[in-house]
This record gives sequence, C-alpha cells and structure tokens, in this order.
Amino acid sequence: MSDLAEQLVHGLTLGSLYAMVAAGLALMFGVVRLINFAHGEFYMLGGYAFWYAYAELGLPYPVAGLVAVAAMGVFGLVYERAVIRAILARTWHVQLIATLATSITLTNLAILVFGTQPKEVPTRLSAAILDVGGVRLAWQRLLVLGAAVAIFAGLEWFVRHARLGKAMRAVSQNREACAVVGVDVQQVALATFGISAGLAGAAAALVSPLFSIFPDVGALLTLKAFAAVIVGGFGYVRGAIAAAVLIGIAESLAAGYVSYAYKDAIAFVVMVVVLLVRPQGLFGRRIGI
Amino acid sequence: MRAGRFILGSAALVAVPWIVAALLPGQQRYVLHVLIFTALYGSLALSYDLVVGHVGSLSLAHPAFFGLGAYTAALLATEGHWPFAAALPAGVGLAALVALAVGVPMFRLTEHSFAMGTLGFAIVTQVVATNWVDFTHGPLCVTGIPKPQVGALRIATLPAFYWMGLATLALVALLYRGLTTFRLGRAFHAVRDNETLAAAASIDPLKYRMLGFVIGGAVAGGVGALYVSYVGVLCPGELTVSLSVNLLVMIFLGGIGTLRGVLVGAAAFTALPEVLRMAPNWRMVIYGLLLLVIVIRAPDGLEGLIRRGSSLGRRPWGA
Amino acid sequence: MALFETRGLTKRFLGVTAVDGVDLSVEAGELVSLIGPNGSGKTTLFNCVTGYLVPDEGRVTFRGRDVTGVAAHRIARLGVGRTFQLVSVFPRLSAIENLLTFLQQHQEESLVGRLVRAPRVRRLEAAAVERARSLLDSVGLAARADVPAGTLSYGQRKLLAFAAALMPDPELLLLDEPAAAINPTMIEQMKAQIRALHREGKTVLLVEHNMDVVMDISQRVIVLDHGQKIAEGPPEVVRRDPKVVEAYFGR
Repeated sequence: MSDLAEQLVHGLTLGSLYAMVAAGLALMFGVVRLINFAHGEFYMLGGYAFWYAYAELGLPYPVAGLVAVAAMGVFGLVYERAVIRAILARTWHVQLIATLATSITLTNLAILVFGTQPKEVPTRLSAAILDVGGVRLAWQRLLVLGAAVAIFAGLEWFVRHARLGKAMRAVSQNREACAVVGVDVQQVALATFGISAGLAGAAAALVSPLFSIFPDVGALLTLKAFAAVIVGGFGYVRGAIAAAVLIGIAESLAAGYVSYAYKDAIAFVVMVVVLLVRPQGLFGRRIGI
Repeated sequence: MRAGRFILGSAALVAVPWIVAALLPGQQRYVLHVLIFTALYGSLALSYDLVVGHVGSLSLAHPAFFGLGAYTAALLATEGHWPFAAALPAGVGLAALVALAVGVPMFRLTEHSFAMGTLGFAIVTQVVATNWVDFTHGPLCVTGIPKPQVGALRIATLPAFYWMGLATLALVALLYRGLTTFRLGRAFHAVRDNETLAAAASIDPLKYRMLGFVIGGAVAGGVGALYVSYVGVLCPGELTVSLSVNLLVMIFLGGIGTLRGVLVGAAAFTALPEVLRMAPNWRMVIYGLLLLVIVIRAPDGLEGLIRRGSSLGRRPWGA
Repeated sequence: MALFETRGLTKRFLGVTAVDGVDLSVEAGELVSLIGPNGSGKTTLFNCVTGYLVPDEGRVTFRGRDVTGVAAHRIARLGVGRTFQLVSVFPRLSAIENLLTFLQQHQEESLVGRLVRAPRVRRLEAAAVERARSLLDSVGLAARADVPAGTLSYGQRKLLAFAAALMPDPELLLLDEPAAAINPTMIEQMKAQIRALHREGKTVLLVEHNMDVVMDISQRVIVLDHGQKIAEGPPEVVRRDPKVVEAYFGR
C-alpha cells in the first residue's frame, strides 16, 4: 500500500513537472499558434542556470531558484526576438523545423559547455525525508507540489485579471480583432514567451534537486509536454495541466508496476490513443487559453 | 550527345575506386568509406524527400523505418543465419508492413498532430530498441553482422561496398524519378499543393499519402539493412530524432523535392564534416544553425538559390 | 427523378446548427441558385453534399444513389464538379497542367499499357490536351496556358478553376460564389459561361451573393436562413417573398 502511495506521489511530482512545462507550451500555442520544439531546452537551460547559481555561486536555494526563473524569462524574450519573430508568419512546417533546429543547436551547445556528465544538485529539502504512515517522501516533493499549485493559481489570476494576461487571452481567442482594437500583439507574443520560459525555469529550479540535469533532458520532456498539450486539447492551458498530471501519474505507475524501461513510452501511447479516439483532445476543441 | 555523356559519367563513377587509388594513394580507404556513406545517406534522403517533398507529409518516423529494416536484417543474419539475399527483402518488407500499419491511423491526423504522432512512433521504436535487451541486445548492440554474400559473390572489400552503394543509389534514384513524374507524380504533387482541390479532381489524398509513406518507409528499411551489412554493428543510437534532423538538413540544404538537390544536400552533409574533421557536437551545432537559417531564409535550399533568377522559384513551404 | 437531392440534411458545429433539416432537389438541366444572408449555411451545405463534411443527419442522393458521407474524391469521380469560395488552383502547375490534373483519374489505362506507352495512351493524352486547350480558350485564358497558375490574377484564377471543374465533363456543377471579388467585365463573362453550360444541358447549382447575377440567370432560387430553407421558386417570386426580405434586412 505504501508502495502505491509512493508511486502516486512520485507520479504527482512528475506530473507537476510535466504540467509546468506543458502549460508554457499550451500558452505559446494558444496565443501565437506556434509549436515550439525547443521548449524542453528552456527547462534544460533553466536547470543549468539553477545549478550554476546554487552549486557554483553558492546562492541560497530560493535565490538560486529565482535566478533560474529570471534567466529563463530573459532567454524566452531573446528567443522570441531572435527566432520566433522570423517564423511567426510562416507555415507550420517552417516553424516546426526551425524550432527543431534550435533545439538541436542548444542541446549540443550545452554538451560542449557543460559536458555530458549529469549534474546532481541536491538541496536540504531533497535529502530530508518525511515519513507519513510508512510512506517516505522527500520534502522537496511537497515543495514541488505546493509550488506548482501556487504557480498555476498565479497563472490563472494573471490571465483573468492582469492587463497583460487578459490581452494574452484575447489574442488567443481572436488575433485579428485584437490587432484592430489596438492590442499590441507583438508585445503579447513577447510576454507569452517570457512567461512560458520562466515557467520552465521554475520547473527546473523545483525539480532539479530530485532529478539530475543533463543536456539531453529537454528532448523527451518536450515530447511528453506535447503529448499533454495534445491530450488536453491544443492550446487549452488547463487541459494541458490536467493531461500532464495524468501522464505523470500513468508513467510513474507504469514504471513501478509494468516496466521501468518502457516508462518513457507511456506518454506517447496515451497521446496516440487519444489522437485516434478523440482527436480534439479530452476536453474538446476550445477557443482561447 | 546526352547518352554519350551519361555513359561516360557512369563509367567514371564505376571506376572511382581505381581513380582514387591513382590520385590519392594512401587515402583510398578513407575516401571510399565517405563515398559509401554518402551513397547510403543519399538513398535514405531520397526516400525521405519522397514523403516530405513530393507528397508533403511532414513525417518524423523515418528513423524508425530505417531502424526496423536494420534490426530485422541484423538479427536475421546473426541469430537466424539468414543469407543476405533473404535478410534484405525481409527488412524492406517489415518496414513496409509497419509503415502500412502505422500510416492508417496517422493519416487520420492533421498537420501538427501527424508530425507529433509520427514522432511519438519514432520515440517508442527507439525506446523499445533500447530496452528490449533480450531481443535487440539494447545498448550492447548487435555485433558481428556478416558481410553480404549473394551466391558466389562476396561483398567484403571497400570497392565492393562502394559498388553496392552506387548500385543502391542508382536504383533508388531511378525509383524516385519514376514515382515523381508522370501521372503518379502529378497525383502526389496535387495532394501536396492543394489537398482539397486534389479531392475535387477525383484524386484520393489518403491513398497517395499512404503510397508515398509506405514506399518511403520500405526504401528506408532497405537502406537500413544495407547499412548494417556494411558497418557490421547496430546500436539503438542509430534511430534517434537526430536522424530526422539530419535528413531534414540534407533535403533542405540541397533543394527539397528535386533529385539533384537532395543528392547535393546529402553529399554536402556527409562529405563536408569528414573533410572538415569536425567534432560531432560542433557538427550538430553547425547543422542546427544551418538548418535554422536555411529554413527561414531559403526553404528551397541550394537549388532554389540557383533558380532564384527565374520568374517563379519553387516554394514548397512559402507562406 | 431528380438528378440531385437532399433530404433533411443537418450539420452541427460546436453547438451551432449550420444546416438544419434542408430538403432540396435539382432536376437534370436546371440552373438553380442558392442564396441567403451570411452564415445561412450555404457553403456548409455545399461541403456536405460534395463530401468534405459528413452530415449529422439526413441524406444526399445523386442520380438516385445515396452518397451521404461519401468521400470527396469519390463524389467528384461520380460526375460532380465544384469550385470553391476562396479560389483554389494548383499554384505551381501551369494553367493547362491544372486542367489536365482534373482529367487524369478518369483516364483508365492499365499499368502495363502505360508503361509500354501504347498508341492508345498517346491518343488519350492528346485528346486530353486538346480538350484542355479548348476549355482554356473558351474562358479566354488560351494565351496563359503555360503560365504557372500562381501568377495569374484573382479573376483569371477564378476562370481557371471554373474551366478545371469542367474538364472531366461533370453532370452536376456546384459553383461557390462564382461572381465574388471579380470586376464587372469578368462577371459578365462568368454569367455568359454559366448560361452556355445551361444551354448545353448541364445542371448547375450555384451559391451567390450578387443578386443581379442570381436574378438574371437563375431558373429557380432557393433561400436559406440560419440553416433552414425559407423560400423557393422563380427569381421574381422569391425576391418579393416577405420572409426573404426579412431575412436579409430584418436583422
């Protein structure tokens, strides 16, 4: 029983990670209709930024975490300016290939700069174990869950009440109308990328103490986040979050009870099944984020 | 006269091992190795261009078909002791069957979903290849794959492999030509350029997409089988997403949808880094940037740049 | 027996009923127009009957044969031609190649026959080219036969699409807003073309917003509003129908 509980907690942790990454991806697709293949690299770079701030510079954990978020936020803005702006108006093939190319470039640059050896970044919380009725979990896991909930609540508030957030929602629903009414679509696109990347940075700061950081981590993560976005209904942020949590739990249970080796395949099996059975996603086709 | 030039060119290509031995003594092994790889990658790129450039389906499943053909031939040859003449068609056949099975559900998806679905399939294939250690040897790799032997003919020397590669490339190029011209080619292009209108012209988009996908996958499987017979070793690392990126670079670099363009791209992609002796990671950084720049600036690749002078260059992915 | 019929045709999207229980029939040789305010379901109906959308309810029959939910390419093969609201051509092919594409599936030859390039194949292909040229000529695009279709003007592409739809000699022709977004001269040309088709005995159903065109050439007019058929009859009668007037102006 405690074994199952541990798997579930692990699944929730994984799901939180996937959800934070998938939310950013869904946000990008919802607002600017773009599939960003390099999204996993935001997480990877965020992880290295966190590692550098925490392990190399010796900053306290919360500060290092914020550094990671801020660094990725800035990177997201730069990325939007440098790459995305050039491909926003092009066909999805160009967008897919361009972001795929960026992903490969970033991954290999990371190998050249940081090497292929994974970086372990244990913190006090990831080492400290909480024992709840026979279920042993690292405190860090609770932090991940709590932070994820807080972040999503914040995102929800932002999209409903903040001016920029409302603009993002409006653009996701009807871009042409927004341009006509005077919403600065360029600025909204920029902000969307900054926020999405920042979300990935936050995920990295929260989860890196539990898992290690290595250059290839982005690839599988991107794809699993995509699986969540697709299952959740392309561009629907809440759907993506729900789907991501589901995938995380499914993967953890599969790893524990079916086969550890094939756990990575679970996300795609789920995705392909959903695509075939209900192509509009679990929650149906919706307009806007 | 064109036939004369063709015969002369073909003769020169066949004579390459001797030409290289004469002009670059001591380098023969290395040059032939590069040429063999170029021929294999060229064939693979052509089979991919068929799907992406001519039918217009942005499939990311190609590495899986390459891998399926490779593993089938490798395992049949090492564990089943099948002769090459049987292992090769088995590889092609399995790849074709899987392409058929996968294609049916995949083509019900549109655009992004299709790309993602094929990518998911490629990932699953890679995960299985890596983890089904009992069957595929996983990261321990399939080793000791025998050199091809067809009757009395044994392909064991570099020149022999070169001719095998050349013959493969010639055959694939011929197939590519045949499939992309005449009525069939026009049907493919109609589906690629305007699927809705193609249907109004009585052309069944699903049938032609499936045809391109299965043939492309089958050829990829064949190249996989030939590849392992040359290299002698097969590891799951051969079927990564990187291969899709490499193929995309090849076809975009040279000119998507054109025989000459794709071959130029494959040659540039394979031969250049050998010449430059780049470290693999730097190589991928350069390729990534190159692909990024090319796909944004000149989606037709080199061919397009050459043809830009004419009034209407071909713009497969233009906005 | 009507050449083409729908019975209770219904199509819904995301809670909106775009086509609501529409019954219509077109006899062979008729020239019928389908009109209605924006959003009344005309193009959706077209897409349902030509196989691009599957209706939620109802039946579509062509020459007495049930073609409900049949795929678009099969319906085209049965002898139904159509044009699209947003003009659609194969941009990289020349005008004449565009036309030839529409005929190729209709030319039955065995693979072996084609490989051997039998004289029969050659004759068929020559006949196809001949037909394409004469169609291009009849729409005034003969001079542009070898020019890539993507470089033609909007009006020219419209005429090209029209000619292409005619290539396989369809019995029923569905034209989606043939007079939209083209200058008055071309509109007259289009009207003349449609009248010529009618004289040849072809059956034409067109969707159109341009009332002058509708009133001028139609034998019969069907009016849709909010997905439902609200009126039907000769042009002069329909134009005065109070329900029609209200549909267009009463909102």
